[in-house]
Order: sequence, then structure tokens, then C-alpha cells
Amino acid sequence: MTRLQIPIQSVTLKNGLRVVIAPDTTAPVVTIGVYYKIGFRLEPQGRSGFAHLFEHMMFQGSENAAKMQHIKLINSSGGTLNGSTMYDVTNYYEAVPSNALERVLWLEADRMRALKVDDENLRNQRDVVKEEVRVNVLNQPYGGFPWLDMPPVAFRNWANAHNFYGDFADLDAASLPDVQKFFRTYYVPNNAVLLLLGDVKPEEGFALAEKHFAPIPEGAAPPFADPTEPPQKEERRGHVEEKFGTLPAMAIGYVLPERRTPEWFAMALLDQALHGGRAGRIYRELVLEKQIAVEADGGIDDLFGYNGPTQLTTRILHKPEYSAEATLAAFDTVIREVQEKGISEDELQQLKVKWRSDYYSTLEGGRGGYMPRYGLMHLLACFTLFDNEPQLVNTILNGFLKVTREEVQRAAQKYLQPENRALVFRTPVKSDAKEAA
Amino acid sequence: MATIAKEVPTLAPALTPERPVTWPKRTRARLANGLEVVLAEAHSIPKFHGELYFRAGNALVVDRASSLAEMTATVVRTGTAKRASRQIEEDLRRLGADLGTSAGQDTSAISFAGLSEFAEPLLQLVNELAREAAFPEAEFERERRQKLEEVKLERTSPGFLAGERLRKVLFGAHPYAQISPSEEQVAAYQREELQSVYREIYTPENALLMLVGDFDPQVMLKTIEKVFGTWTGKKPVAKETVGPPKPLGRRVYLVHNPGSVQTQILAGCHAITRKHPDWLQLGLTNSLYGGAFNSRLVMNIREDKGYTYSPRSGVLPLRQHGYFSVSAAVRNDVVAASLTEIFYELDKLRSVPVPAAELADAQNYVTGVFSMGLATQDGLLSQFSTVELNELPADYLETYRDKIRAMTAEDLLTTARKYFDSANMQIVVVGDRAQIEEQASLFGALEIYDAHGKRIE
Repeated sequence: MTRLQIPIQSVTLKNGLRVVIAPDTTAPVVTIGVYYKIGFRLEPQGRSGFAHLFEHMMFQGSENAAKMQHIKLINSSGGTLNGSTMYDVTNYYEAVPSNALERVLWLEADRMRALKVDDENLRNQRDVVKEEVRVNVLNQPYGGFPWLDMPPVAFRNWANAHNFYGDFADLDAASLPDVQKFFRTYYVPNNAVLLLLGDVKPEEGFALAEKHFAPIPEGAAPPFADPTEPPQKEERRGHVEEKFGTLPAMAIGYVLPERRTPEWFAMALLDQALHGGRAGRIYRELVLEKQIAVEADGGIDDLFGYNGPTQLTTRILHKPEYSAEATLAAFDTVIREVQEKGISEDELQQLKVKWRSDYYSTLEGGRGGYMPRYGLMHLLACFTLFDNEPQLVNTILNGFLKVTREEVQRAAQKYLQPENRALVFRTPVKSDAKEAA
Repeated sequence: MATIAKEVPTLAPALTPERPVTWPKRTRARLANGLEVVLAEAHSIPKFHGELYFRAGNALVVDRASSLAEMTATVVRTGTAKRASRQIEEDLRRLGADLGTSAGQDTSAISFAGLSEFAEPLLQLVNELAREAAFPEAEFERERRQKLEEVKLERTSPGFLAGERLRKVLFGAHPYAQISPSEEQVAAYQREELQSVYREIYTPENALLMLVGDFDPQVMLKTIEKVFGTWTGKKPVAKETVGPPKPLGRRVYLVHNPGSVQTQILAGCHAITRKHPDWLQLGLTNSLYGGAFNSRLVMNIREDKGYTYSPRSGVLPLRQHGYFSVSAAVRNDVVAASLTEIFYELDKLRSVPVPAAELADAQNYVTGVFSMGLATQDGLLSQFSTVELNELPADYLETYRDKIRAMTAEDLLTTARKYFDSANMQIVVVGDRAQIEEQASLFGALEIYDAHGKRIE
């Protein structure tokens, strides 16, 4: 078995900013990321969607690079850029020809040090975000299903249960002082990690990081709301109308064990057994064999990228001639089988080979064709911010390859229980869905 | 030639000297049975990525049924003479592999990726799918039933409805007009039809095998000869097609999608294929118009006016014809305002030469992102595939950057005038008729359709 070893070096600057470098000179391209440990889970109450709106504001100008200059400077250096807001982190990243490395570091440092935006920028980006919500959620069949539908049904703590894209009233209420406060609170160097991957010499990378980021003053340690959920004792159910789609849909989510525990590793392999594409038990049973469902997929969303309550979620679109209860019964049969019989040694070995292969692709993989090493960046960032241990990138695979058949079966028995799950039914309002029956 | 943008704020560090961009060497071979092979090493991870392309797709067989090559590809993976569907899926997992079968207008493909240590058994499976697909009756019936639900579902997506209408308008009786079958067509698919498409298209003379990854090309070539060497089959007979219509004057096609809270705009006109000598000029001009984040269209209707989240433009190069299009999902009350800006920016590029600094920025952007694919196996595979499938010159990748950098503002003006055919753009809007009809009709004679493609008045 060939094992992949990523060379990783890291330091912490005096202001608390962690810097992680993974050099690889294969191509003259460098990927740069800045991750802040704040996502939509812990955004302020009454300001749903704010973490994401704020992410947009980070492209609106900083002290030495006015609105549009940031984007223009990256693109005109031959690079691409973007940002995204997740449950527990927000990232900003660029892939550029390696001769633009210092320019990018200067830009990232400038906006970490001194965001400079006005009301006009905020109005503009509020409009842009509303169109983003419309194009991804409100005007799409099954938009936001289940990632926005599930949390309010599954969770009781506002942190985990609110609308992460934001209610429009909350987006409208967001003000410039909110932006400034959020920036001062969470966007401090001691709450961030800088990542340099690809064509960079470590000593040069660290020197440039020091030069541009060290002058940024350390901030107070950010206060974080407690995302803990009260213990769940009953199955939870919710219903949502589907405005455009023709097929009834359901999502089933089971709360996961704590990150990096033996049970969590076992759940990840169980996830692969259940959802691993066309070989996965759920797809095989519901789509290929019983032919109840048209789509049946899911899994643990961003396994390495969350740091609070989350679920293993299955998403099913089923044929209208099958009732929701019949579909759920078929799903439950799959779950019961793995609880009662476990998985065979042969299946476990297949799962591990596939896991290892997928893990390599995650590390190499980009986001779109123009953002190489996104996956490696994401894992290094999360392991640094959550665990202070970027080297986990090279060792965590062992945890998955060690899992036994018994552990998989026990995880299924313990976690795939009705009182540990929530169901969301998304039902078409259109009458032609019934005609198809 | 200066390639560094001039409008850089004084404090921004300058670019340091560029490292050379070197594309990996390709090893080419043609087996005795006609199978073309292209191999390249990339050792980023202990895996490899591959495509087995067939140079024919839906367009070749459209007179039999719409999307027939795609349906054929779907059923190809469901069984071979040696393995049942479930066996195929489990074997893939055992090899740590992913595999997909698909077809577009001009190609059919088996795409795969897996661990280098299991390269030979994965190629064996690909070989079986290419030569011995069994089209089991029960699998065919299931996939057809599945497809029926999918074609109903896609009619609820604004993006699909816009694309479908534009293709019909631009291509008329040409095969490219059809991007998806109707429910009736799916119901009429015959297993024997699929098998005959399979026999025609899936042949070594019609095929190109490309592999990029962690392997020794000479060893890999021997494996390929061993696995695919005894395969036989001729190229399919090419088919004459009618030319697409040349729509003159702006017209507007409104697809009524009741309850829409946003309008999908898609406007387009005929352009060129990748083989055309103007392709690179058009690519650069497009990147300036709406092909990059800092392009004029994005800066205008997103960053300045906030009408939309993701405006973009691009050229879709099908093998026989290419077309240019611009799209944006906008707020219902700014459909007319957005179209006005879309045309303003097109007309501006047709009438005013691009300032030198903006041209240099765009040249840097296009040449820079061109190299991003170097860092990953599938990025390399995608670039090599473009060259091979479009029969581009052997030095296409190596000369691309110099050619882009040699372009002038005059070249771009000429290109915009030729291909940004503003006066004859065909405009599709998908949204709620009551909210957008009046705005849409300002831009040309209006035709209204329902989501099933029926004309309504």
C-alpha cells in the first residue's frame, strides 16, 4: 500500500496567527487560504445570515485596497479567489501563479488589519446575497433541502437550529456597526490560520507571513456561544412545502458522536457503507432493487470541517406512487439490517480501500478546475483551528483504517436510533406530482 | 511586452519573476486496432485519472431518438457478459475507484479514477464495459423509469428551461437543438436501439484512451496493449446535418414559470468552434466581458448595482458549431435594467477599444488560470482532452500563453464586432409572466412558452 505523506511546517506568530506551509513545487502555482474560526453557527442572535453577509463584505475594501481592487489585483495576477461560510469556519482563498504570492499576502493582511467598508457597500452586498438565496434556495426545486430545512427540526439550541443563509428581515436589519463589531470580535489574528500550499519555499513563506501579518495587533480572545444541544429523547419530524419539484422528498438525519472518537471513525465508515454511491446500501436498496426512490444519497457533510453538533443525513426523492411511510419503512429496513447483521469482512475491506482512495483525492482536489489543493487547505485549516494539530492530515487516515466490523455494527446500533434522529418531509404542492402516480 | 497591470495601488507588492510553465510530456500510441492512447505522468497522489472517449454522441443518432447515446451510456454500466450490476459497483469499491459513463452531443465517455496499485484490474473493468456491455432487460427498464422522473424534474429548474429554449432557438432542426428527451421519447426507448448505438459508437477505431497519473508510461502502455489489444471495430459512418438557422434581429422568448421569485436571463448568438483561428481572441474578449470575477459585466450588474449574484458569459464550443451566451439570475423588477446593462457592455466592447491596462490585466488572468490545471491529475486530463478531442495543434498548450499575450486592443475590437452579435442576440427569460412580460417585450418581438415547450399567448 502506497501512503501519501504531505510535508507540513507550521509556526505561530507573536500575535497568535498560525501559519501552515505545505510545499510542493510540481506546478508554479500557490494556493493561499485564510481561515477564521467563526461560521454561521455562532453568528449573533437576531442576525441570522450575518456570518455569510459579512464574508461578502470582506471583498468590499480594506484600508489600502478599495472596493474592486482586491478582486482586480488577484485576477490581474493570473489568479482566482473566493470565500465561503461554513458552520464553524469562514475561509478566503486564492490560487495564483507563484510569482504573486507576496501580493496576495499583502492583500489578505490588509483586510485582516483594516476592513474599510461603507453603507453603500453593505446595501449592495445585501442585494447580492438576496439574489444568491433566491438562485440557490427560493427559486430552485428542492432549494436548501435538506441543509436549511433540517436544522430547525433537528436541533433546539438556536446556534444549530437557525436559518444559516438568513431571514431577509435579519439581513435588512444588519447595519454597518454590526459589521465593524463582528470584524473586531472574530477577525483577529489569534482566531485565524494562514495557509500556503504548493510552490512556496517554507523559509520564504514564513518570512513573508511575518513581514505582512506580524504587525497586526492581537485581539481579545473571541467569546463563543455554547452550541451544546440538550439531550434528544424522541424522534423529531418536520414538514416543508416543495414549490417547484414534482417528487416527494424526505431527509433523515442522525446526530453524530463526538469528533475523533473511535465511534466517530466507525460512523465515517458506516456512512460509506450506507451512502457510498451506487454500491452503498441505501442507493442499492431504494433505487436499484426496490426502485422506490429516484435519488437517495447523503452522508456526513464536510466530515472534517465542523466543530459542533451535526448529523449523518440521507436525502431521498421518491416516486409519487410510494407513500412517505412506505419509503421510510424501506429505509428503516436497510438500517435494521446493518444493526442486526453488521457488515462482512469483505465489505469492510472494500470500504477502507475506497476511503483511502477518496482521502487522497480530497487532499489533491480542487474546487472547480481553477482552485487546486482546496481540500488539503481545508483539512489543514480545520485541524489547526479545532485541534491545533495540522499534522493530523498525515495521521488521521489510520483511525479509519483501524475500524473493526464490531465497531461499525455497534455504531449503527447506538446511533442509528429513532430517538437520535430527525425527519423532514418536503412535499410538492403542485398537482401534477399526483398525476404521475 | 508589459504584462503587469498599471493600475496597481502603490503599496501592493509587484509580481516577482515568473517560474516557467511546463506541461508534462505526453506519450502517444496507436494500437493495431486503431485505439489512440495518450498518457502523461503526474505524481501528486498515488492514483490515476482516465477517460475512454468515443468520438460520437447524441448528435449522431438524434434521428432515432433524442439523447439516445446518453441513455446508452447510462445502461452500459449496469451489466457486462461477466459481471452483474451489483458486482460492478462492489468491484469498483474494492479497487478504490470511481467510474462514470456519459454522453454529450459529440462524444460518449467512460470516465474513471482509481489507485495506481489497482490500475490493471480497473482497466479490465473499463474494457469490459466498452466491449461486453450486456444491457440486461431489467436494468434497462429500471433506468428508463428512472429517466422518466428525471426529465419531469429537470423541467422545474429555471437554468434547464432557459438552456433548452436557447438551444431550440439557435439550432432549429440541427441535432444540437435537442438537449433532453420528452417523456414520450423516454417511454419509447427500446433496448435494441441502445444496443445498436453501442455497437456503432463503442469501437476502438472511434476511441481515444487518455490516462494521467502516478504511473510509468511505458509500463502502462504494455498493460493497455494487453487489456485492449484484441478489441476490434470500425468507426461509425459520419452523418450530414442541416445547418442551424441564423436568427436575425433580437427576439425574446419568455418561459412562464409560475411563482418564480427571480428571473433567469440567458441570451446568446452563434459563434465559433475551438478549431477556429479566432478562438483564443474570443476567449480573451469573453473573459473581459463576463468570464472573470473582475469582468465588466460582474462589476456592473453585481458589484455596482446588486441585481444578481452570479452573472457570467461564455462560449460553448460544440464540435460543429459554437455559441456565445450570457446569463444572470436577477430580481424580477430589474429584468429590463439588467438586459440594458448586458447589451450596454456588449456594445461598448464593440465600439470602444479596451484600455491598455485592462487588456494587460485580462491577459494576465487568462494566462494565469490556464496553468492552474497543472497542479492536479484531473486538471491535466481536462487540458489534454481539450487538445485531443478538438484536434488542436500539438503545441497548443505550450504556445497558448504567448498567443494570448500578443493580442492587441484592435484584435479585441474586431473580435467583439464579429462575435458579440448584439443586434441579433436571442433572449430567453424564465420567470413569472405577470411580473416580467412587459419588461421583456421592450427588447424584441416576444414569444411565450410554458415549461413543457408549448407556445402560449
